[in-house]
Amino acid sequence: MVSEEKRKDILERLRKGVVEFDEDMVREAAKEALEVGMDALDAIMNGLVAGMEEVGELFDKGEYFVPEVLMCADALYAGLDILRPHVKKEDIKVTGQVVIGVVEGDVHDIGKNLVKMMFEVAGFEVVDLGKDVPLEKFVEESLNTNADIVALSAMMTTTMLGIPKVIEMIRKKNPNVKIMVGGAPVSKDAAEKWGADAWAPDATNAVNEAINMIKGLKKEIMERKED
Amino acid sequence: MSAMNSKERISKIFSKNDDIDRIACFSGMGNVTMEGLKKYGYAFYEIHLDAEKMANAACTSYELYNFECAVVPFDLGIEAEVLGAEMNFYTHKERESIIYPTVKKKAIQEPEDLKIPENVAERNRVPLVLKALEIMQERVGDFVPVATYILGPYTLAGQLMDLEKLLKMSFKNPDRINDLLSNLTNFLIELGTIYRDVGIDYLTVREMGAPTDVLSPRMFKNLIQPHLKRLFSKLKKLKLPIVLHICGNTNPIVELMWESSPTAISVDQKNEVDKTREKLGDDAIIFGNIDPYGVLVKGGIDDIRNAVKKAIEGGVDSVWPGCDIWPAVSKENMLAFVKAVEEFGKR
Repeated sequence: MVSEEKRKDILERLRKGVVEFDEDMVREAAKEALEVGMDALDAIMNGLVAGMEEVGELFDKGEYFVPEVLMCADALYAGLDILRPHVKKEDIKVTGQVVIGVVEGDVHDIGKNLVKMMFEVAGFEVVDLGKDVPLEKFVEESLNTNADIVALSAMMTTTMLGIPKVIEMIRKKNPNVKIMVGGAPVSKDAAEKWGADAWAPDATNAVNEAINMIKGLKKEIMERKED
Repeated sequence: MSAMNSKERISKIFSKNDDIDRIACFSGMGNVTMEGLKKYGYAFYEIHLDAEKMANAACTSYELYNFECAVVPFDLGIEAEVLGAEMNFYTHKERESIIYPTVKKKAIQEPEDLKIPENVAERNRVPLVLKALEIMQERVGDFVPVATYILGPYTLAGQLMDLEKLLKMSFKNPDRINDLLSNLTNFLIELGTIYRDVGIDYLTVREMGAPTDVLSPRMFKNLIQPHLKRLFSKLKKLKLPIVLHICGNTNPIVELMWESSPTAISVDQKNEVDKTREKLGDDAIIFGNIDPYGVLVKGGIDDIRNAVKKAIEGGVDSVWPGCDIWPAVSKENMLAFVKAVEEFGKR
């Protein structure tokens, strides 16, 4: 069993590596976490994700901008690639499959990629349809894959109106799947009106929304672990 | 004050000449509406690919609503295509669908891959835009300004290479991006000159890849502003009014925008225009800042009138929508928009 002191040290380096977008620091700390027999999920949630939460705060405060957040996400992935294969199956309580994509006519996928990362951190299996995705494709893929969640985004008002069309089509053919929507022009009211199950506010805030959702998921996972 | 036509009015506005009857309601960006396309029976995707259709469509907002300009093109792919990107025009969709062309295949992997071709005036859709501008000048050019737009170097870079890569490299290897932007600026000076030569009344430079929702003001100042400065100084030598349009949160960078020395700046609904006027002083020419979707499409007549009033009280020199007018806007709303400017904008 790893000492509390060692655990804290590794978590701190994982956190700091993400915040300072230092991929090497994250990789080393992640490898060491495995070597000393630390719980991989602990390292992900209390190291990498804790770092990403801080990144969200720095972004909110206007200290970090999109390039910085993207580099932090790379650092998080560097650690996740090492740690994820070692997460014990019984520890993952939230599992599921997500179909994610940016609607037709829209090629802005940075927000979508960050939301995708959030799902991957949480242990979801992600089917990424990419950007400029024909509306019918969301419906087809949600049926082909037995997805639990379909996540749609649009970054322009001109493409946003594809979203209610997809929701309508999905509800007809696959009424049980949960639908999450997001993107700069998509308001909470609009998301509710269209009948979406969840909403992520806008492109830049999608970062925060993703982080908040990780927080929520983390809380849930940790609480269940303590039970 | 005797009545003046839109061309005279806007020409005076660009030279900060106060001898005008009222401020103008126009734009430097796309402003075609489905109502206008109906007149000709055009599908939205057709007007990007045919000079006559493009020109006809561009004149409809003036003809239907007295919106005071004729602007082509309607998409953001002209420059990217010339530099090797492949576009999707969505010609396979239903005729009534409104999907703007997008870049299907990026032109370059690395900044150093950029190749600027010879004879830019003859490349891809540039001749089509030139032809459309000629038709428009002939049709409405005596009384309405005819205009076009180019992308700013950073926004163009985002059309040409993977955006995530561009953003990260702007931070990690700014020198490589700086060289790319410098080359793109040369290309944009050439393209702007070609447009000027065919006869336009003003040129808008759309640098929407650089609002502070995405990049820090510091990065805007270090990496982007120097290229804008050079672009504007060259283009202004051609006696061509230049408008710098940036959308998104521009509050922290309006000084930098104005210092880059365009003829005028244009901002969207996220900008606090009254504060911008205070910061930049009376000499600055500021256009803005009506929300093209939230107000023009979703709003009622009162919302539109209030937004116009607020922009004018905030000190805009003319009322512009914050971005392309969304084609699905209703005829009633467009008429109310123009009328509100005519009413509240009297001098």
